[in-house]
Amino acid sequence: MTEPEPLLRTLAPLLRGLDRRLRGWLDARRAQPLSMLQRAELEGLDTDLQRQAAALDVEKPLLVIMLMGGTGVGKSSLLNALAGSPIAQSSFTRPTTRDPVVYYHQSVRSDRLDPALRLCRLAQHDRPGLEQKVIVDTPDLDSNDTANRDKLIALLPVADIVLYVGSQEKYHDKLGWELFKEQRKRRAFAFVLNKWDRCLTNESGVRPDEDLLRDLKDEGFTSPLLFRTTARAWLEANGATPADLPAGEQFPLLKNWLELGLTRLEIEAVKAHGVTQLLAQIARAAEGAKPPDLDEAAAKVADAWERVLAEEAAVQAEVLVGALEPYQTEVEHHFSVEGQQRFRGLMAAYLRVTTMFRYAGSRIRDRHPITGRLLGGRVETPVEWNLGSFVQDCAKAAGERVLDQRASALVNKLLVDADQRGFPPALLQERTAAVSRLDWRDRVTRAVIDALAEVERRATHPTGWRKALRGTLGVAANTLPEVALVATAAVLLWDFFVVGNTDISLFRLSLVGLVPLVVIIVLHLLILMLLPIRWPAIRGEFRRELGARLDAELERVYRPIPGEIAAALTAERAEVDALVADTKQVSDWLAERQQAARVGELYGS
Amino acid sequence: MHVPDTRAAVGELAADLGWLEDHCRAQPGLAAHAGSLRLASALTRNVIGPFLEDQPARPLHVAVVGGAGAGKSTVVNFLCGSVVAEANPQAGYTRHPTAFLPAGGATLPGTIGFLGPMRRVSEEKPANLDEDVYQVRRLQPTAAADPLGEFVVWDCPDMTTWASTGYVARLMEVAALADVVVYVASDERYNDEVPTQFLHLAVKAGKAVVCVLTKMRESDAPAMVEHFQREVLGRLPPLPSGSIPAVPVVPFPQMPPGVRNDPAGAGAKYRVQLLNQILVQCESADAARKRTVSNAARYLATAGDGLLDVARRDLAEFDAWKGAVRVGRLDFEDRYRKEYLSGEQFRRFDRYREQLVELVELPGAGRMWGNVLWVLRAPYRWGRDTLTRLVVRPDTLNLSEKTVLDAALVGWLDGLRAEALRRAGSHPVWKAVAHGFDGPLAAEVRDRFQQAFRTFELKETDDLEATGRQLVAKLEGNPGLLYLLRGGKLTADIAVVGAVLVFTWVPSWYHFLLIPLGVSATHQTAELAARGATEAARLKVRSHREELVQATLTAPLAEWLAQWPATGGTAFEKLQQVLTRVPLLIRQLDEKVSAKMTA
Repeated sequence: MTEPEPLLRTLAPLLRGLDRRLRGWLDARRAQPLSMLQRAELEGLDTDLQRQAAALDVEKPLLVIMLMGGTGVGKSSLLNALAGSPIAQSSFTRPTTRDPVVYYHQSVRSDRLDPALRLCRLAQHDRPGLEQKVIVDTPDLDSNDTANRDKLIALLPVADIVLYVGSQEKYHDKLGWELFKEQRKRRAFAFVLNKWDRCLTNESGVRPDEDLLRDLKDEGFTSPLLFRTTARAWLEANGATPADLPAGEQFPLLKNWLELGLTRLEIEAVKAHGVTQLLAQIARAAEGAKPPDLDEAAAKVADAWERVLAEEAAVQAEVLVGALEPYQTEVEHHFSVEGQQRFRGLMAAYLRVTTMFRYAGSRIRDRHPITGRLLGGRVETPVEWNLGSFVQDCAKAAGERVLDQRASALVNKLLVDADQRGFPPALLQERTAAVSRLDWRDRVTRAVIDALAEVERRATHPTGWRKALRGTLGVAANTLPEVALVATAAVLLWDFFVVGNTDISLFRLSLVGLVPLVVIIVLHLLILMLLPIRWPAIRGEFRRELGARLDAELERVYRPIPGEIAAALTAERAEVDALVADTKQVSDWLAERQQAARVGELYGS
Repeated sequence: MHVPDTRAAVGELAADLGWLEDHCRAQPGLAAHAGSLRLASALTRNVIGPFLEDQPARPLHVAVVGGAGAGKSTVVNFLCGSVVAEANPQAGYTRHPTAFLPAGGATLPGTIGFLGPMRRVSEEKPANLDEDVYQVRRLQPTAAADPLGEFVVWDCPDMTTWASTGYVARLMEVAALADVVVYVASDERYNDEVPTQFLHLAVKAGKAVVCVLTKMRESDAPAMVEHFQREVLGRLPPLPSGSIPAVPVVPFPQMPPGVRNDPAGAGAKYRVQLLNQILVQCESADAARKRTVSNAARYLATAGDGLLDVARRDLAEFDAWKGAVRVGRLDFEDRYRKEYLSGEQFRRFDRYREQLVELVELPGAGRMWGNVLWVLRAPYRWGRDTLTRLVVRPDTLNLSEKTVLDAALVGWLDGLRAEALRRAGSHPVWKAVAHGFDGPLAAEVRDRFQQAFRTFELKETDDLEATGRQLVAKLEGNPGLLYLLRGGKLTADIAVVGAVLVFTWVPSWYHFLLIPLGVSATHQTAELAARGATEAARLKVRSHREELVQATLTAPLAEWLAQWPATGGTAFEKLQQVLTRVPLLIRQLDEKVSAKMTA
């Protein structure tokens, strides 16, 4: 007979690989965080994976059989009866066992036991039939000493087979039954109905073993391994067969099953089945933690947000323009000054003087803080026009009045919109909140300055017929006054010297100044009429420009959010799929190599 | 006594507590509280109700309770003196309570609501009938005198098997009724958590308790009784009166079938012990019943708040919702103040200012004088107006009030909705709100807002008009002051003209230029005074307007929104009602019980 393939040993590295994979996945940052329950479950499964990998990576894996049941059902008596000596404390006071007892073969070094078991009371034996098996007696699960239950629950993950021990009173108590239902997905179960003598009273009702079998059938265990025992009788008989055993007592069967029924083949099968169950759990849990596919919803949300953001930008622009309204004189002034840069000579001098008079009000107001405050000026505009600081103040005023409150309202609106289009707002919350905390005043200020500059550029560098007109007027304004001056002077000189008109009146002399002045005024009027720089004209253009800029800015920061999150989720989905595929690969590998051993009754369906 | 009144109160309290119990069962984390709530409602129904309705104290009730398979039915047989209950090894066999009436006379009380929703079945049924029923059986008369002739013995279902979730309410119902609770614990079960919790509950409710320890070996009995007394009874909660409960323990060792099935004969030794302990607890029927009733009332009074604790989380979430509404309201008012009120000039007041200035002018024939001065002041007026236009900044463009309010409302609702979405997973109240926003809530809020806004609009116009008119009317209604002002102004004008003439006599032409300057100065003073008065009124209107918005718009809306989850027949509405009503009813019944006790 050839040595069979060391199945479990080969399995260990596969499990380790899977563990690394799962660990990495758990530790990664993700767009949709795992809920507390999911994380706890997956962490627990990962720990089990590590544990299994470690337990299988040995020559002869140990099978851990754990007794579980309420206080007083006779778990300790059962172990003592199996051992043939009182290794576990057993008495009539409840609860008896507070510390778990581990019963294992002397050939097994204690450091081969699972770390959780090493801390328990250890009892060694030399029975060859139980060489590869570790039997653990656990504290109860239903007494007033609730610490016992916690100890049991901490130990249960180590178990390969749980021996559910019930008595006539407790065979289907709620606490034990719920624990069984929770654990049966993960490990093999066999059942013991201890104190069998108390069950046989020939009274009415269903006999407890039949009642238990019925309950188990409802849970999917059609042919469970059930042993009816009276452990105390065997213990008191001291190894011999007790005298008055009740009919149908099956303690020898139990002993036989433990010693001979669970051969190497069965152990391997139970272990492999445990791993299969674990892998199925991991696949299920990972599948449950798989984020939803939101690509489609994200596209819809982005479209919806576009509308919302455009509206928001329009309102913000309106508010900002409104905030600039009180400073229309300053803005006009600024534009006039900028427009005058291209004039030279007389025209330039004339414009400087008229501008000074026309905007004297804003100068008075700004130079004297008292008048400024009295007459309703809120912003101290410096005398020397400083667009940056001026706009900053305006944006601050607008922010205090309106924009700051709109920022949080906008985020709320976006979240509500996202929800209506099937995108969970919880996913967006963090990002949108971060964006809304950005320094919006700074951005708004920049947008206002850029918009003003753009409008100014357009006003001072027009296109099309305006450009031609503007050029013509510019050339005319820069030359005609001087031409008029020279011409008037020439005509006067000609008149005096050549014609000999010696009438030198004050009027004739002042014509030298008056004629160019008239020319200048006419030109100025033409400029004002044909190329107006008035606030109402600037205002509309400025608002459009500002709206476009704000819209672009808002879209730049908000609009990509749903798409990015959806993309991250898609990546996470792919990762989960890969993990599940890996898990499935290992379980398929295992399924192919499973050897035929009869362990089906330990699992139910 | 006002029986119908009392009956209504009892019924209401029992129903409210019953509703809370169902509420708890529906929430996974609270199912543990359902038992004590059921006990409280059953105490109201079965103990306090009959007492206040003058039901006789007799018969007393003994309820036999314990974990599955502990031997309750055996104990019932020992109490009754013969094998009447099916004792069998199937754990959790008994699924509904059975009353064993003594052979002579005593019957169950016939009050309405007795044993709550449980139905009485008259024909004999097996004890494993899993329905909301109770059986009543009458014991066969025996030759010997029945020591429990005044007692009804109840055989109850267990509270430990997985199936017991379905019937533990029936157990609570009977346990609440009992004057004496016989707590049966086996050698396996005596230190179990679930039955011990039940024992604690019975003691807290002020029941007289007798413990029966079963199934141990005869030799182990004293040690086990001692261990039980130390481990379990030593940790009992104090009675409603504050004293430590004294609970007697009777051991019932494992008996051979012959003894077990012959309680009056072979088992008499154990039976007598048990009967003695019960009879000691109940020296007279009246006293025992009174004790049961007053303890029940005290339990309700002391545990009342604790019972309502189950709703604490609901209330906390509800408060959080109210807080969110409040924050939204403050934001709303803030926006209104900043976006509208701070920039609003109330231009209408300029008209009243002009009227004020007009009032100070002389009427009738004096108007000629005024017209002359008006002409004289013309140059000054032009100069001043030009300068003002040059220097004064234009106003900020103010958004209209309706726009601001609408935007603020949208912001408020969006904020609430986003908050509800964020927390929808944490509690049903948020979920309900989120659903509400998907449904009719937002539209309904807007309707209410529009209605309130119409009222507000009417009021605000009235308010503005009234304040302005008051400004003028105050002066008009005070002729003394009016004539004083008019006279003062006239005097000042004449004084200015006179002074110019006197001091510059004989005046040159340019000296006459001083006259328009002087009368302009006096008029400017009058105008400044009028402006001051108008500004004060404007300020008043502004602050008043804020109050008006709060009173007519935001406060009613916030109130309505805050209460929204608790309206429309939802669980929260009921919860609110129950929470306010239960303490009142408990106090009311407690007072009635103590009045009747002393009477």
